[in-house]
Amino acid sequence: MIRKPPAPAGSGIQRAGRWLKRNLFSSPLNTALTAIAAAVAVAVLAPLIDFLVTDAQWRGSTPADCPDKGAACWPFVWARMDQFIYGLYPVAERWRLNLGVALGLALAAPLFFSRLPAWYLAALVAGYIAIAKLLFLGGWFGIPHVPTAQWGGFFLTIVAAVFVLLTSLPVGLMLALGRRSASPLIRALSATWIEWWRSVPALVVLFVAIVMFPLFMPAGWEVDKLLRALVALTVLMSSYLAEVFRGALQAVPAGQYEAARALGLNYWQTTFRVVLPQAVPVALPQITSNFIGLFKETTVLLIIGLFDLLGMVQTAASDPAWLGPGTLSTGYFFAALFFWTFCFGFSRYSAYLERRVAVP
Amino acid sequence: MRRDWIYQLLILAALGGLVWLIVVTTQGNLERLGVDSGIDFLFRRAGFEISQKLIPYSAHSSIAMAFLVALLNTLVLALAAIVCATALGIGIGAARLSSNWLVARLGTVYVETFRNVPALLQIFFWYFVVLSTLPESGHSYRWFGLAFLNNRGLFFPAPDAGGAWLALSIAGGIVAAFALRRVILRSRERTGRGWPLLPTMLGAVVGIPALTALALGDSLVWEIPRLGRFSYEGGFVLMPEFLALVVGLSVYHGSYIAEIVRSGFKAVAPGQREAAQALGLSAGVVFRQVLFPQALRSIVPPLTTVYMNLFKGTSLAAAIAYPEVVSVLVGTVNNLVGQPVVIMALTLLVYVAFSLAIAAFMNWYNRRIALTER
Repeated sequence: MIRKPPAPAGSGIQRAGRWLKRNLFSSPLNTALTAIAAAVAVAVLAPLIDFLVTDAQWRGSTPADCPDKGAACWPFVWARMDQFIYGLYPVAERWRLNLGVALGLALAAPLFFSRLPAWYLAALVAGYIAIAKLLFLGGWFGIPHVPTAQWGGFFLTIVAAVFVLLTSLPVGLMLALGRRSASPLIRALSATWIEWWRSVPALVVLFVAIVMFPLFMPAGWEVDKLLRALVALTVLMSSYLAEVFRGALQAVPAGQYEAARALGLNYWQTTFRVVLPQAVPVALPQITSNFIGLFKETTVLLIIGLFDLLGMVQTAASDPAWLGPGTLSTGYFFAALFFWTFCFGFSRYSAYLERRVAVP
Repeated sequence: MRRDWIYQLLILAALGGLVWLIVVTTQGNLERLGVDSGIDFLFRRAGFEISQKLIPYSAHSSIAMAFLVALLNTLVLALAAIVCATALGIGIGAARLSSNWLVARLGTVYVETFRNVPALLQIFFWYFVVLSTLPESGHSYRWFGLAFLNNRGLFFPAPDAGGAWLALSIAGGIVAAFALRRVILRSRERTGRGWPLLPTMLGAVVGIPALTALALGDSLVWEIPRLGRFSYEGGFVLMPEFLALVVGLSVYHGSYIAEIVRSGFKAVAPGQREAAQALGLSAGVVFRQVLFPQALRSIVPPLTTVYMNLFKGTSLAAAIAYPEVVSVLVGTVNNLVGQPVVIMALTLLVYVAFSLAIAAFMNWYNRRIALTER
């Protein structure tokens, strides 16, 4: 039986004093470090808090509410919040986006509690993408068509991140299996494809998709700009995920493959019934952190003229009525807070998955 | 076996067919649109200026020269950002390992803040918010009348005449330092004694350029930036775009490096430190000879990934018009000559080539420091 260590002696104040001495003032050097760190923290945080909170303008929602442009102007964020969330999507049609996202969340929720068969998952994903496309794009049964040029803001960020994740998971898995294939040709092709796309920047691949993709298509075939961008991001993300899957596949002991083959299972049965159920939990933390990278990478869309959240902030802040350093930086802080909340949340989730995988 | 070969041939045929289809379609499209192909355009007169150039270039130079200027700008940016990000990452990683509670917490706050915000957003912040508050030329921040910071950039003195010799002697000093290191380590292995390593290396790195400067005497002239009619003139200038990118990229990727450094040192078994201390080794020797070499082994492989990501990240420079490969080639040159296929291929090749070079260098270094099993 393990005994708990005895409670430290002394009153609360004495204990706090000991803690301070041990952790902050144990030696002259440590005391100096504490002083320097405190000075740095104050020098950075004090002006930041002044700018964002104390001196900032909080109330109102018109440019007239921000006379002092030297501090944060939150009315700018309140006034443009709808655009930050929905982009230029028509106001009357925004219920479709809410409905689509709610539907997605409702469908995704069971995944956290139960294990579903792979074919069921695949059908679910394909079905959801089809429904979401009908809902968001419209153009049927009197539901007005909303071209992707009007999509934007938080909505576009989410659509891009989720769509690219859902499509690149199967593609990445196939590439990883290809890289471990028995056939030298498939192995070489997969490896070249993966390494090529892993070594080029997302921005360049997006430009390739925008500028060159139309040249690959027969005359008269027009592919939507957003779709081209999403395909480009899928190509990249699936190459990253292929390496994640490859690592996870390598972590499955060779005895598992051999035992499955000895039982007479064929390649696909071995892969889907024996190997993948063991590899996917190992890959999950890495998949999550790659998804965080993808989520941040979607901001690059603004360079090719698609208005994700950051793009909306940039556009809104260049409105002459709101112009000023205070509005722009407030917009940036708002966008940063948004991305931070999501990415930090996912990284905690990834850390939790990693701990769960580590314990057998 | 036979069936495998048939499958492979079928796949090859299908892929070949697909590629052929794309090539034919593209050719048809290019002809229909009247786009030239080939690389003749590279030798045409460029006709546009580039705001930062490390080699002589003007609007009369060829497009190939413009490409070279842009490539050098990418490389300089990547190198500066890699050096700064590494220094910052090591510092923050060390802070997170500190026994001082406040220092460790500040390190954590740094990492969690900057790792979870997109790099592009951070670059925009430094460029459009922080650097835009810099004063105009007349009210520059100044240091000793030698270096000046204003909204046109950071100005500092540059050697005018004799600069090439100085640059050469700096490179020579670094090479000499590593040659000396080899010699000293050899003699140490043989005799157990020898020259002190670090002072000798530092002496070579600092001494050789200093001696060269002395020898050059009057023929080495420093050009100090002076306030001209519109801005400072002369000397060396770092554009605001460059500064914003170096700061943004190093702060963002530095947070990843900090985590790598921290987990690298965490991965060294605590018994190693205790055993080294029990042998009576000094704190410096314990760190240099026991902890650091072992930590380095788990640091280098993930560091390679960060360096490659940082190199790819320099393409974000296109968003604030710093003249690197993407903004010059895809932006300016493509608009000028309208040959997307060749230009895109060239751009992709630049990144593939340098990513592979970074990977090859880091793998070589990794093999060199790897544990030699006997």
